[in-house]
Amino acid sequence: MATAAAPREAARSVARVAACALWGLETAMVTVEADVANGLPSFTVVGMPDAAVSEARERVRAAIRNSGFEFPLRRVVVNLAPAERRKEGTGFDLPIALGVLRATGQLTREADALCLAELALDGTLRPVRGVMARVRRAMLAGLPTAFVSRENAGEAAALGADAFGFTSLRDVVEHVEGRARQSPAPAPPPAPRPAHAVDLADIAGHQTPKRALEVAAAGGHSLLLVGPPGTGKTLLARAIASLLPDLDPDEAVVASAVHSVAGLIDPERPLLGTRPFRAPHHTASHLALVGGGSPPRPGEVSLAHGGALFLDELAEFSPSVLETLREPLEEGAVTISRAGNAATYPARFTLVAAMNPCPCGHAGDPAEPCICLPDAVDRYHARLSGPLLDRIDLRVHVPRIAYEELRAHGREPSSVVRARVIAARERMRARLAGTGRRCNAELTVAEVRRHCRLAGEAEALAAEAMRRRRLSARGFHRVLRVARTVADLAGSDDIRTTDLAFGLLLRAQA
Amino acid sequence: MIEIGLADPRYPRRLLDLERPPEPLWIDGDCAGLSARAIAIVGTRRMSAYGERIARELASACAGAGVVVVSGLAQGIDSTAHRGALDAGGRTIAVLGEGIALFRATVRGRRRPLVPRIRASGALISQYAPNFCARPWMFVKRNATIAALGDATVVVEAGLGSGALITADEARHLGRPVFAVPGPLGSAASVGTNGLIATGAARSLLGVDALLEAFGRATPSEPRSPTDPILEALASAPLDVDSLRRRVCHTESELADHLLRLTLAGLIRKTPDGRYCAVGDAHSPRRWAAQLPR
Repeated sequence: MATAAAPREAARSVARVAACALWGLETAMVTVEADVANGLPSFTVVGMPDAAVSEARERVRAAIRNSGFEFPLRRVVVNLAPAERRKEGTGFDLPIALGVLRATGQLTREADALCLAELALDGTLRPVRGVMARVRRAMLAGLPTAFVSRENAGEAAALGADAFGFTSLRDVVEHVEGRARQSPAPAPPPAPRPAHAVDLADIAGHQTPKRALEVAAAGGHSLLLVGPPGTGKTLLARAIASLLPDLDPDEAVVASAVHSVAGLIDPERPLLGTRPFRAPHHTASHLALVGGGSPPRPGEVSLAHGGALFLDELAEFSPSVLETLREPLEEGAVTISRAGNAATYPARFTLVAAMNPCPCGHAGDPAEPCICLPDAVDRYHARLSGPLLDRIDLRVHVPRIAYEELRAHGREPSSVVRARVIAARERMRARLAGTGRRCNAELTVAEVRRHCRLAGEAEALAAEAMRRRRLSARGFHRVLRVARTVADLAGSDDIRTTDLAFGLLLRAQA
Repeated sequence: MIEIGLADPRYPRRLLDLERPPEPLWIDGDCAGLSARAIAIVGTRRMSAYGERIARELASACAGAGVVVVSGLAQGIDSTAHRGALDAGGRTIAVLGEGIALFRATVRGRRRPLVPRIRASGALISQYAPNFCARPWMFVKRNATIAALGDATVVVEAGLGSGALITADEARHLGRPVFAVPGPLGSAASVGTNGLIATGAARSLLGVDALLEAFGRATPSEPRSPTDPILEALASAPLDVDSLRRRVCHTESELADHLLRLTLAGLIRKTPDGRYCAVGDAHSPRRWAAQLPR
């Protein structure tokens, strides 16, 4: 960049400033062109702006005036190129203001950076959503510098960009002119590992459900916990957050970008380190769960990307809402189509669900008898459709536990289990290197054949199970994936009989 | 569907023992089973897993011995008995408490697929016109018909005030043998049956042999087979994996292995709520009879 001593350039009639448009997680570089010409005083923004962008005119006019500059009493036209793409949000305020100042000669140098901030009427810079995705796009486009509000500086710097956080429009101008240079914001420290609300050591008894959680956390298998009310299903499900390993760096960028678009980023620690854990309430709508609106916002399935999605009282969710889970469970992504555009958000999560065994909740409860008729119980289970249940790998019963067990000592803490999970994931990563997939739940049928070798008697048992039609071919592959994870947790290359037996014991289908 | 009167040769003679035999009788299916040896297996709609297993096992064993199973095709014990008889390849008769056509049009859930199977290997019968809508008093009369159609009556599980107790009462008035299956004390579904046994209104059913002897069909007794600790633990109710492990003192992998083998043998299965339960079959009544003191 030129030094302060460089000669002032003459005012140019057309100024260009770099900005970035965001649609879902998709981004596109936008050039903000400002032209100031003689004519009746007017201020027009063209290039498919939405309401928020059009309103930028009023904010920009006031901010320029209140920052001690002059708003031209001439004909001002701002074009957001490429003009065919719809632009949304308030992040275009700063580039438009800089464009106008540059076109009128009040700014004499090129702002050689991605400009991304909302303006207050007094010229203060305000933060916007989705900074991370847009800064990433600019870096890919060869523009490593970003001018953002002070609140967004950490988010922009987290990805390694030269991020400058400014308080006001005047600060930006002073910086570009070289009169008061600021230094780039330091990359924020990685988010510390939070103390988890629930540790496995807090939970008494429930050995098998805990093992199921461990398998789910390691292999990314979806898990359904069934049990009477008050037996600790919710507590168990929440404990999975303490078992999941940290996000890989590339996963962290994607997960953080989704959170940034949703406006859920902590400005001090913008880069997620731990895997997200989302627990939407059972009254959640389609839009809340898979995302939507115009422009499309990410839903809970995308916010849970890379982590776990917990659906408590699964049977109480609206059946049509549950059906929308099928696509993300199968594809690992959701595509939201709205008039004029479609947005794709990543949505690869470990599903943990909990439900009662029957409408009254007490089937199999020694403390209280169940009062449900058989047909009512059937109808309750039928609320979960076959195709959805088909995508659930593990199902365990969470029983009411006896008082002696509540007092028993020697429970395994989460940190010990988590170490096993990390080691198992390491094995999976080595096996799936280069495929883009990370855990056993994502194995394709061909990979199941290649990697799930059955050792010794296990082979004969599996053949027997198939021959007696206790398992379908599809169900068998599902069991093999789970058995593969059980073997990985035990550090075994082959699937032994005990691994296969345990996989079968945890499987979801009857 | 046919409609028969008292004078019809196909009209089951056993119904004539009733004070007011139902006339006419609507029959949908095969009339042959109406006059064959038959046993009424009835019970509560709110059955426990124990009752479900016993009903299934009794019905399979009787059907396997060529005895027709009569019941009311209600939810719970009744439909389990029908299903047990059909699965064993036997004949079964469902006595409905409403019009047959109406029932067939409105039945939902697990009982719906039973209807064509019962018509193929037995019959649906009713004393009400095909489109007659159900009223509470109609089921009381239906229960009397069930009692009269069976040469003996077994109540598998009945709570207080269960309709199955009415069937047992009718059977006693008709002078037919009545059996009740003893159940665990404290189980709401067995209060009525245990009461029948305690008051002497019914004989306690300890094995299927006693039942079949009443029909003069002796069953070859099987040698006492070694019982499996897991099957024993699952005999009264389904259990979750942790409770099972405490009962049989296995390690995690031993238990998984054991469960795998029993599942492959078709002796146990996983329930929709993730527990394990025993699957009853026609051979198991012999197994429990074998455990009785001689």
